[in-house]
Amino acid sequence: MWKFIVRRLFVTFPQILLLSIIVFLMAEMMPGDALTGLIDPNIDPAAIEAQRERLGLNDPWHIKYADWVSGLVQGDLGQSFRFKMPVSDLVGQRLLNTFWLSVATLIFTYAIALPLGIISGRWNDTWGDRLITGYTYVGFAAPLFITALVMLWVFGFQLGWFPTGGSVAPGLEPGSWDYFVSKVQHLLLPAFSMAVITTVSTVQYLRSEIIDTKQKDFIITARAKGAPESRVYNRHIFRNSLVPIAAFFGYEITGLIGGSIFVENIYGYPGMGQLFLDSVLLRDFSVVTVVVLIFGIAAILGALISDILLSIIDPRIRIK
Amino acid sequence: METTKVNAELQSQDSTSSPSGLKILWREIVRDKIALISLIFLVLISSFVFGISIILDQDEIVTVDLFAIHEPPGDEFILGTDYGGRDVFGQLIIGTRNSLAIGILVTLIAGFVGILVGLLSGYFGGHVDNALMRLVDFFMVLPTLLMVIVFVTIVPDYSIWAFSLIMAAFLWMGVARLIRSKALAERELDYVQASKTLGSSNLKIMLTQVLPNLTSIIIVTMTLQLAANIGIESGLSFLGFGFPESTPSLGTLISYARNPQTLEFRWWIWVPAAVLILLLMLAVNNVGQALKRATDARQRRG
Amino acid sequence: MAFLDVKDLKVHFPIKGGILQRTVGHVKAVDGVSLSIEEGKTYGLVGESGSGKTTTGRAIIGLNKVTSGEITFEGKDLSVSQKQSKEVRRDIQMIFQDPYSSLNPKKRVIDIVAEPIRNYEKLSKLEVKKRVQELMEQVGLSPESILKYPHEFSGGQRQRIGVARALALKPKLIIADEPVSALDVSVQAQVLNFMKDIQKDLGLTYLFISHDLGIIKHMCDDIGIMYKGRYVEEGTRDEIFNNPQHIYTKRLVAAIPDIDPKKRKAHQQFRQEVKEEYDKSYNDYFDHDGLAYKLQNISGTHKVALPQKG
Repeated sequence: MWKFIVRRLFVTFPQILLLSIIVFLMAEMMPGDALTGLIDPNIDPAAIEAQRERLGLNDPWHIKYADWVSGLVQGDLGQSFRFKMPVSDLVGQRLLNTFWLSVATLIFTYAIALPLGIISGRWNDTWGDRLITGYTYVGFAAPLFITALVMLWVFGFQLGWFPTGGSVAPGLEPGSWDYFVSKVQHLLLPAFSMAVITTVSTVQYLRSEIIDTKQKDFIITARAKGAPESRVYNRHIFRNSLVPIAAFFGYEITGLIGGSIFVENIYGYPGMGQLFLDSVLLRDFSVVTVVVLIFGIAAILGALISDILLSIIDPRIRIK
Repeated sequence: METTKVNAELQSQDSTSSPSGLKILWREIVRDKIALISLIFLVLISSFVFGISIILDQDEIVTVDLFAIHEPPGDEFILGTDYGGRDVFGQLIIGTRNSLAIGILVTLIAGFVGILVGLLSGYFGGHVDNALMRLVDFFMVLPTLLMVIVFVTIVPDYSIWAFSLIMAAFLWMGVARLIRSKALAERELDYVQASKTLGSSNLKIMLTQVLPNLTSIIIVTMTLQLAANIGIESGLSFLGFGFPESTPSLGTLISYARNPQTLEFRWWIWVPAAVLILLLMLAVNNVGQALKRATDARQRRG
Repeated sequence: MAFLDVKDLKVHFPIKGGILQRTVGHVKAVDGVSLSIEEGKTYGLVGESGSGKTTTGRAIIGLNKVTSGEITFEGKDLSVSQKQSKEVRRDIQMIFQDPYSSLNPKKRVIDIVAEPIRNYEKLSKLEVKKRVQELMEQVGLSPESILKYPHEFSGGQRQRIGVARALALKPKLIIADEPVSALDVSVQAQVLNFMKDIQKDLGLTYLFISHDLGIIKHMCDDIGIMYKGRYVEEGTRDEIFNNPQHIYTKRLVAAIPDIDPKKRKAHQQFRQEVKEEYDKSYNDYFDHDGLAYKLQNISGTHKVALPQKG
C-alpha cells in the first residue's frame, strides 16, 4: 500500500516539475514581460534596459526559471500587466468561485449518475434502460458548449427560472442569507449543464459494471442461497460497483477544467476559466501563466488522489 | 479460388486476427440500421458540402453587407443573415466543410503520432515503453484546452496548419495508449518471434507484420477520435480561438449566440449550426460505436 | 569442433521489485547448460514445462538474451550482436510450437514463406514466387495455394507452411520447439515422419525440443534431460532409455505408457518402485535448492548429474 503511494509520488513530482518548466517556457515565448505594463513610454529606452538588467530579465532562462519558482513557492505569483495589481489578488475570489462551481458539478454528476446507472444496470434492456442509454449516447456526442447554450436559452431566457449571468446578484451584503441563496442560484444552472455531460461516462461505467457483476459466480451463489433480490443488489452488487466511481472524482478534474472554460464563458460566471479567457484576449500573459499552472497542478493532484483511492479499493491496481 | 476464399472468410470467427477484419467492420455497419443511416448521412452531407463549396464564393459570403444585418430567414437568405449581414446558410455550408476538413486533418496527424508512439512503446516494451508511457501520462493530465488556446495565441504566423498541429500535439495520447496495449499483446505472438529469426529488422516487423494486425482497431479509434476532434475544434472556434472569422467554422456561427440578443431572438444564426454539429458528432460516433462492436466478437450483432 | 557447440549457457531473467523497480533477483531459466550437436543428427532436449528447454533453444537462435556462456556454430561465435551474426544466422532456423500464432493471419502464404528469402536474397518477383511454389511442393502442399491466408489451412498444414518457411533459406540447423504438441495426435506422426524425410533429403541437423519422451525416442539420436534450468543427464538414445542413471530420468522413462495390456500390472508396479526410490533418494540427487549437481562422465557419451558427496 504505502509502496504504491510512494511510487506514485515519484511520478507526481517530476510531472509538476515538467509542468512548471513548460508553463515557464510558454511564458517566455509570450510577448511582453513584467515591465511592459509598468513603464511610461516617455522614459529613455536605455533606462528601461538598465531596469531590465537590474530585475534580471536578461538572465539566461534557467536562472530566470529558478527565480520564478522560488517566487511562486513564496506565494509571489507576479504582477498583472494590465491591471497593475498582483496576480494573486486577481485569482483569489475567482479561484473560490470556480472551486464551488466544480463542487456543485461533482455533486450533480453523482446525483445523476447513481440513479440512472443503477436503474439502467439493474433493469437492463427495459424501456427505462433504453431511454437512459439513449441519453448517454447523445450526451457522449454532444459538445458541452452547445448543451450549456441550450440550457441557458431554455431555462435562463425562455423559462426565466435561473439568473443568466454573474456569480451573485448585485447589491447584496456578503455573508447575508440572501447573498448565499443568490450564490447558489447562480451556481445551479452552470453546474447542472456541465454535469449533464460529464456524468455520461459514469452512468455508462456503472451500467456495464452492474450488468457484469450480475453474472458473476458469487452473485449466482447469493441468489441460490435464497437471498432476496433487493438484498443481493444492496449488499453485493452495488457495493462492488459503486465504490470505484467514488474514486473517479480526481480524474474528473481534468474534464472540469476544460468544462469550466466553456461554462463560465457562456454564463458570464466570474471564475478561473473566464479569467483565463479574458487574460488571453487582453494579452495579460502573467495571469495566463498562473492560471495554466494552477489548473495543471489541480489536474495532476486529482489524478494522484484518484490513483491512490483506487489502489486502496482495488489491490490489483497496485501491481501495475 | 475466389469462392473458396469467401467461404473460408464466412466461417472464420476471429475478427481482429483474420484478413476479413475490414469486411466484418463493414458488415456490422450494414447490420446496425442506425449506423448505416449515420454513414449515409455523413456521406451525403460531406459530398454536398464539399461539392457545393466549390461553386460557392467564400469571399462573397464572408463579406459584410450592412444593408442586410440580422435578416430573418426568407426568400433571399434561406437561413437569414448574421450581425454582419452575411448569409447564414452559405456560412453553414462552408463552416461544415471547414469543421469536417480540420477534424479529419487533426485526426490524421494525431493518429499518426499516436500510432507511432504506441507501436514503438508496445513493440519494444521495457525501458522504451516506460519512458514513452510516462510522457503519455504527463500529456494526459495537462489541461489540453488551455494549452491549445495559449499556443494558438502565441504562435507567430497563425494558419490552419499551425492550428491543426497545435491541436494534434495535445490529442494523440488516447490513440497511443490503445495501440500500445494491442502491440504489447501482438509482440508476444510467435509470428513476431518468427520474423526475428527470419532476419527481419525491428522496423520491418513493426510496420509490415504488427501494423496490419492493428488496422481494425486503428480505424475504430480514429473514427471515434474524429467525432471528438470535430467537437473540440468547434468549441475552440466558439471561444474565438479556432478559425478566423473569414474562415467560418460551425463553432464560429454558434459563437454569435454569446450575444444574449442573438441567443434569445435570432435563433436562425446559431441553432442550425448547433443542430448540425450535434448530428455530425452523433453520426460519426454511431459509426464508430458500430465499428467498435465489430472488433469485439462478444458484442457483435451479426 | 562440433557443428553446434554450447558451453555453460546461462539465461537469467531479472525480477523487478521494490519502490524503484530495481532488480531484486533473477530467475535462472537456463543455468549452465552445455551441449554439442553433430552435423546431420537430431539432438533431443527433454524436460517438464519451466525446465528451460525452450529458453535454451531460443537463446541459441537469438530470441533470448544470453547472460553468459558461449554458443558457436560451425566455429563462429553466435553470442555477438544480432546484426553481426545475421549472415551466420540464416543457417539456423526455427519451427514454432503453435502453428496458429506463428503465422501472421494478415499475410498470404506466399508472403509468409517468402519473408526470409526477401530478407537475404535479391530475387525478382517471379523467382520468389517460383521458390515459394517449390517449397510448398517440398512440404507436400499444393503450389496453387500460395495466395491463401493461414486460416484457410488445417493445423497440420499450417505447421507444414511453418516448415516451408524454415527451409526457405536452405538452413543447416533447425530448432524445432515442440513442433507437434499443438497438433492432433493423428497428425503428429505425419508431421514427424515428414520432418525425418526432409532431414534425410536435405542433410538437416535438428535440435528437437519436447516434453514427450515417446516422440523424442522416435526422433532423436542424442538426448539431454533438463530440470530447473540444469542438465540432469545426457547420452545417446540407447543410454537414456535403456540405462538411465539419474532418478529423475528413471522416473520419466518409467512414465512412458506400455501398450501391451498383459504387462500393465507389472508396469504399474515398476512405476511404483521407481516412485518410491525417487522419493527416498531425492535429497541425494538434488542439492538443498532442489537443483541438480554437476554432470559427471560415466562413459564417453553418457553424463549424469550424480550426487557429489558420492
